[in-house]
Amino acid sequence: MKFKPTLVASLLAVYVAVPLLFGADNYVMSLVIASLVIGGIALSWALLGNLGGMVSFGHAAFFGVGAYTSAVLSMQYHVPVFAALVLGGAGAVIAALLMLPVLRLRGPYFALAILAYAHIFRIVASEWSSVTGGAAGIGNIPRLPTVLGIDFSSKTGNYLVILTIVLVFALAYALIRRSPHGLALRAMHDSDDATRVVGVNNTLLKGMMLLVSAFMCGVVGAFNAHYINFLEPDYAFSALWVTIPIVAAIFGGYRTITGPLVGAVVVYLVDQLIVKNLLPSGHQMVLGIVLVAMIVASPDGLLALVRKITRKKHAAT
Amino acid sequence: MLQLENVTVRFGGLTAVNNVSLSIGSGDVIGLVGANGAGKTTLFNAISGLVRPTSGKILFNGHDVLRAPMYQRARMGIGRTFQIPQPMHELTVRQNLLVAQRFGTGSVDARRIDDILEFTSLAHKAEHDAATGLALTELKALEVAKALATNPKLLLLDEVLAGLETHGKRRFMHMLKDLHQQFGVGIVIIEHDIDTISNLCQRVAVLNFGGLIAEGTPAEVFSNPAVMESYTGAAHA
Amino acid sequence: MTELILQAVYSGLLQGGSYALIALGLALVFGAMKVINLAHGELVLLSAYIAYTVESKLGWNPMAAIPISVVIVCIASSAVYFVVGRIKTNREINSLTLTYGIGVILTNVILMTWKADVRTTNSTWMQEAIVVGPFYSMRSEVLFFGVSVALIVGLWWWLSRSWYGRAVRAVSSNRDAAKLMGINPGRTELVSFIVAGILAAFAGVALFSYGVITPAYGGVLTVKAFIITVLAGMGSIPGVLIGAILLGVAESLTVTLASSALQELAGMGLFLLVLFVMPNGLFGASRRRG
Repeated sequence: MKFKPTLVASLLAVYVAVPLLFGADNYVMSLVIASLVIGGIALSWALLGNLGGMVSFGHAAFFGVGAYTSAVLSMQYHVPVFAALVLGGAGAVIAALLMLPVLRLRGPYFALAILAYAHIFRIVASEWSSVTGGAAGIGNIPRLPTVLGIDFSSKTGNYLVILTIVLVFALAYALIRRSPHGLALRAMHDSDDATRVVGVNNTLLKGMMLLVSAFMCGVVGAFNAHYINFLEPDYAFSALWVTIPIVAAIFGGYRTITGPLVGAVVVYLVDQLIVKNLLPSGHQMVLGIVLVAMIVASPDGLLALVRKITRKKHAAT
Repeated sequence: MLQLENVTVRFGGLTAVNNVSLSIGSGDVIGLVGANGAGKTTLFNAISGLVRPTSGKILFNGHDVLRAPMYQRARMGIGRTFQIPQPMHELTVRQNLLVAQRFGTGSVDARRIDDILEFTSLAHKAEHDAATGLALTELKALEVAKALATNPKLLLLDEVLAGLETHGKRRFMHMLKDLHQQFGVGIVIIEHDIDTISNLCQRVAVLNFGGLIAEGTPAEVFSNPAVMESYTGAAHA
Repeated sequence: MTELILQAVYSGLLQGGSYALIALGLALVFGAMKVINLAHGELVLLSAYIAYTVESKLGWNPMAAIPISVVIVCIASSAVYFVVGRIKTNREINSLTLTYGIGVILTNVILMTWKADVRTTNSTWMQEAIVVGPFYSMRSEVLFFGVSVALIVGLWWWLSRSWYGRAVRAVSSNRDAAKLMGINPGRTELVSFIVAGILAAFAGVALFSYGVITPAYGGVLTVKAFIITVLAGMGSIPGVLIGAILLGVAESLTVTLASSALQELAGMGLFLLVLFVMPNGLFGASRRRG
């Protein structure tokens, strides 16, 4: 790995500068943490779309299952929180394993099948009261613990954890993308037979991407549970965890790795800081409008659009 | 090495391959000829796994190949090229070979990839985008290169010469001859040009309307009146 | 016990009629344009809320809302068509996210206009019990079942006899060949969206007349319609009707025998069952696979 100076500078900025500058302001930190949660989901969604070639409308399923798994394990089985986070991801992977049969479905069918699964998990969470607390939910979910003297339950602590989670996942995404598996995955969307005929097991690779995406989303969901300390089915499986990450990923450019993250921060902050004040009950409508506008104008994201416009300007001069 | 026993492929009411039995040994170079639509590509599709035969058996080194999905047949050692080249999009030429090698053989050998690039005259285009940066000859060479990267024991070449002008053709034929000698693979080659076939192949099989109508040395086959009729009949059609 | 079950089956059957309307709209657009309109459920919901407004603000019977609904929903549906038409690349995938976004917009428009409360009809005429043999139902259920069947028959006739109907079928099965025969796919697609809008309008009024509506219900409807199309398999109108009835009956039985909270689970369960056991649906043509 080459250590570019800009990379090091950015890492310093997010790890050191942000807490120093904003650490005392709870409101700002809350916004940043929430946007990173969205970013994490957006990243996992984009990975499934790019490498797996599958559009999913049901990532709320992984988010919710991860959240509940982690919460229940830490509360009823006294699993240490950090371990529970990973196991939350594992829970989401199990949910994804149940979804494997729908892999053979083509695009729209897959997207909706996943959505149907999300509904099922939500209902299960509502009804299986003995484990999940039913519709009332679970309260007092343990916060992140203090490790090596750092109190991770503080806003800054939570921030550092989610930041690390998201960066690790981004790195994993990049590594997969560069590997022969990533190459094969990218190739198989346009030429399904060309990869099969040289020995690539398309179905297996795609399935693995579903599991990876589920794991990432599950861990993020688990983190959120220990951050908010409260869970209920309608929240954990809310359509918001589907819509906002999709808008974020498409807005930021879902073909890149940084796109979904940048998109998440921008979209979420704008939504919370500006739009919510203008349209308190229907502010999500703006999300829908942004999504529609982006797909029509520039499905590859805002940056791509900017590049196109600046290129046109250059050509004109 | 490859045994086709009574292979029939039917699509609804159309019989594309009709009761074909053929035996291909590991040292063979066999030509597969016939008019357009005679069933040659369909036969390749059946062997490589794109299409499931309606009846019949296909054995590769004793194993029943029909149980294996397409990707597994590639790993077993059956390589094929497509008549219309299908390069892996979004990847460079080298990456195409990398994927083929990694998944066809299970490991990566960079030196061998370089060898294959040399052999197929693609070395100078190694970093070019496979889908957009190549001429037709090079695309066809890439088809062969990809198949080679999987370390095949049997190579099915589907009209790799069609559409090439004389110089390209000649170069390709040299390469095909070397292929057999250098890499020790068995080859089944679909071509239309009688001279090419006679030059390259020890044996020739002729398909007409899906059925095998003749099999033997090029000299025997091309002096067979039934064979010539199927050719000229089609040419005038 | 058997009476309970039979009653549940009867209710589910009636419910299935309207479900079929919703599913047919979705299938029609998909056939003509290869686009799944994820906002379709919201169009149905819009019609339902229009019926609510007609009843609560004008005091009329919800049936009177039908012409108004048809006009508004068809305009909305055409708008969806035009926006989808603006997609430049990757239409199959991009239309999914696009119509999803439109669905979000519609849901929120409905939310802002009519607020989040649960609504249902207050019309005693609609709610009046009709007894057929040993079975009870609301007048609205029987009425709209009849309407649905009539519409489905009409749709079938239109697809097989009328020029535009046959054009839609032609474009569905082979777009290029249809173009060669002088059929304008663009106009045919618009027609399919409009017809889907008509079906959605009727379904929405039906929904309001015998069920409850909330702004969030749009997404649920789309999923139900989708499940029915999976049940039915490709290209079969009777298949969609039977699939819709199956769903209605399954839901009804679940509510009667288990609990109403599990109602949605019935559909999902049916859906997964079909996926695993009969991936081509109950009536679909089997796809060739190498």
